[in-house]
Amino acid sequence: MAEQPLLEACQVHKTYRFGAHGVEVLRSVDLSVRSGEWLAVLGSSGSGKSTLMHLLGGLDRPDAGKGEIRFRGEPISLQPGSALDNYRNRDIGFVFQFYHLLPELSVLENTLLPALVQGARREGRALLRHDARALLGSFGLDHRLSHRPSQLSGGERQRVAIARALINRPAVLLADEPTGNLDATTGAGILDLLAERHKQGLTIVMVTHDRDVASRATRQIRLVNGTSDSTAQN
Amino acid sequence: MEAHHSTAFHPPVESTVYASLVSNRYLTSRLIPVIAVAAVALCVALVITVVSVMSGFLDMLKASGRSIVGDVIVSSGIGGMPYSEELLAELRALPEVAGATPLIDTIGLLRMPYPAGPQKETAHVQVWAIDPASLTGVTDFAEDLYWRAPKDAATAGAMAPDDPRRSLDPTILEDGKRLVQSSTNTPGIALGMHVSVGNARQRDGSYLPRYGWFMPGLEVTLTVVPVSGKGKIAEPREQIFPVVNEVQTGLFEVDRNRVYIPLAEGQRLLRLDEAPLYDLTADPDASGSYPVIGRTPARVTKLLLRAKPGCSADALRDRVQTTYDAFADRIEADRMRTASMPRFVQVLTWEQQLRDLIIPVEKEREMMRVLFSLIYLVCAGLILSIFWAIVVEKTRDIGILRSVGASRTGVMWIFLRYGLIIGTLGSALGVLLAWTIVTNVNPIHEAIGSDAPLAIRVTAWSLALACAIGLCVTALRRKFLPTLLWTLGTIVLTGAALGLTLHHGTLIWDPSIYYFTLVPDKVDWWAAGTTAVGGVLFSVIGSAIPAAKAADIDPVEALRYG
Repeated sequence: MAEQPLLEACQVHKTYRFGAHGVEVLRSVDLSVRSGEWLAVLGSSGSGKSTLMHLLGGLDRPDAGKGEIRFRGEPISLQPGSALDNYRNRDIGFVFQFYHLLPELSVLENTLLPALVQGARREGRALLRHDARALLGSFGLDHRLSHRPSQLSGGERQRVAIARALINRPAVLLADEPTGNLDATTGAGILDLLAERHKQGLTIVMVTHDRDVASRATRQIRLVNGTSDSTAQN
Repeated sequence: MEAHHSTAFHPPVESTVYASLVSNRYLTSRLIPVIAVAAVALCVALVITVVSVMSGFLDMLKASGRSIVGDVIVSSGIGGMPYSEELLAELRALPEVAGATPLIDTIGLLRMPYPAGPQKETAHVQVWAIDPASLTGVTDFAEDLYWRAPKDAATAGAMAPDDPRRSLDPTILEDGKRLVQSSTNTPGIALGMHVSVGNARQRDGSYLPRYGWFMPGLEVTLTVVPVSGKGKIAEPREQIFPVVNEVQTGLFEVDRNRVYIPLAEGQRLLRLDEAPLYDLTADPDASGSYPVIGRTPARVTKLLLRAKPGCSADALRDRVQTTYDAFADRIEADRMRTASMPRFVQVLTWEQQLRDLIIPVEKEREMMRVLFSLIYLVCAGLILSIFWAIVVEKTRDIGILRSVGASRTGVMWIFLRYGLIIGTLGSALGVLLAWTIVTNVNPIHEAIGSDAPLAIRVTAWSLALACAIGLCVTALRRKFLPTLLWTLGTIVLTGAALGLTLHHGTLIWDPSIYYFTLVPDKVDWWAAGTTAVGGVLFSVIGSAIPAAKAADIDPVEALRYG
């Protein structure tokens, strides 16, 4: 019996409406992510990569009756909003191209944010802070804990964003152009960091337009005009 | 790091710790919340200050009114009430009555001792012919006598060096209490504090003689017009009285118009004293006089009564009315009596008696409360617009929070909590500000009413000059925002400095309009509490709409924002 995919997109359609007009961004997209793999979704601008990632992460839903997203075999698209909040908090970690850190919070607080959403008793929060410090320390950010995002370099900000995505030990890390805003050297450092986490068993879905970046993944699929064109790679 | 066991699709147990963290950071890292707190504080302080002063004014009015006329007033027509001593004896025996006093209330002309020369100034006055001893048991008459020698050296030391009270003979107070000039043993008159132009009120509330006219010891001539019970005017009568003291009730209208003379003098001048009753149906004797068949009793026009503690003015009024009616019936039935009690007397509580004074002020206070409560709407509008701007600015943050699992409710709570904190802080500061203003309202009023001290004027001009220098520097650097700010600062400070230099004070609280010489300075804590709660409530209401908007923002759209 074949192993059940961790995350699946089955015949997913997504249309954005602008008044009477609709723009179909995704058409019958199929995607399957196995536990422990690093999948790169490659596509040019406007191909629907980010939309697919938002659907996989439960930030958005496919068109009604037109496909579904499954996590561990369970369809998430029909779940109520509160269940999707919980899904995003516990099972998914997002990394964005523009880091998306809260400017008023320190590095440590930004990292702790998903854990605080999950909630913890006061003594648990002390443990969480310890975990967050250790995680940031492993990313070389232990001297930056109290700094604000505006005081960090682009690479440092993205490392904080990855730490935030990992703090709740998610099942899947969804990375949207994680190196898109960084120079080549810094971007390579970020990919090394993801590779290290992947080796430790983290499942990663990464969308990118860059073939070199995509080549770091264990498998690639291509999105062309909103449809998937899968090409297996080892 | 191992992935935890999935709990997807189970109802979330969301913490609000992150909401507290985020709203706290929004509060402490920005200027906008400070402006919002200041706006709420100013709105709350304004409402509390206005309502407190108005309430204090009303309370002072009521307290003064009661201390001047007692709890219940029995008033007859101009013909007066006979047998007042008998009636008073019955009234004093009532368990509800703490004190009762008779008086005659009429009008008169008072020829003053000033100016020097044959032409003297004449004032029209309200004349109260009183029994000082019993009046003191009903009103604060004895306490209101202003001129008295200092009790001890410490009291004297606290007075201004030129305060006439420092050198007063202790007998002046006793003379006032008895309305008798003890040195000559003649009936005296006590004037309301503002009847004479000779009393100049000082900033500390004391009085100094003006133009050299210190009234006690001087003589005034009182002219009154006797009027019969049928309204027939008799020849005016006048009498010279030495001024034995002056009375400060605190109610300007009273202190400007009223004079006090002994009851017996008033009865005699107004022909309300005991007199022979002639039989006009008989033939006159050789001297032309008719035979005397009895005596008509002396009369008074008012009775003032003080209720015992625990007895309301309304209850006392009802009891007095019943007692009066029974007394009048008995007098009516007694054929030996030479006079009957007037049937139509007014028995009123002090509030009813002074309703023309109190009701407008009460209405005015309520109107002010309603008008100034509209400020709550300003408060809510301010919060709403500020929060709307914050939500728009923080749209991407909302997307980020939703991406890490924050619920719509959680996002809404961030902004509601923000509003709650701003409302609470603003209201607390508003109460503090109002308390500071209200408790210091008289010094503030006096500062407004007098020239600014030289140090303040110099400081204002120095700051204006500093701003002008800053303006020149930034203008040379061609920076628009700093130049604009320095320009505004220069205009405001120059205006303030000019105002302080040219303005010589404005008396806002004119005692001739507001009855009292001092502005009420007690905080109305009920108004403060309700206003503060209103401030919090309207801040939360003002934040609810932006908070709901934040909760409704599509997270995908929010992440793309900006």
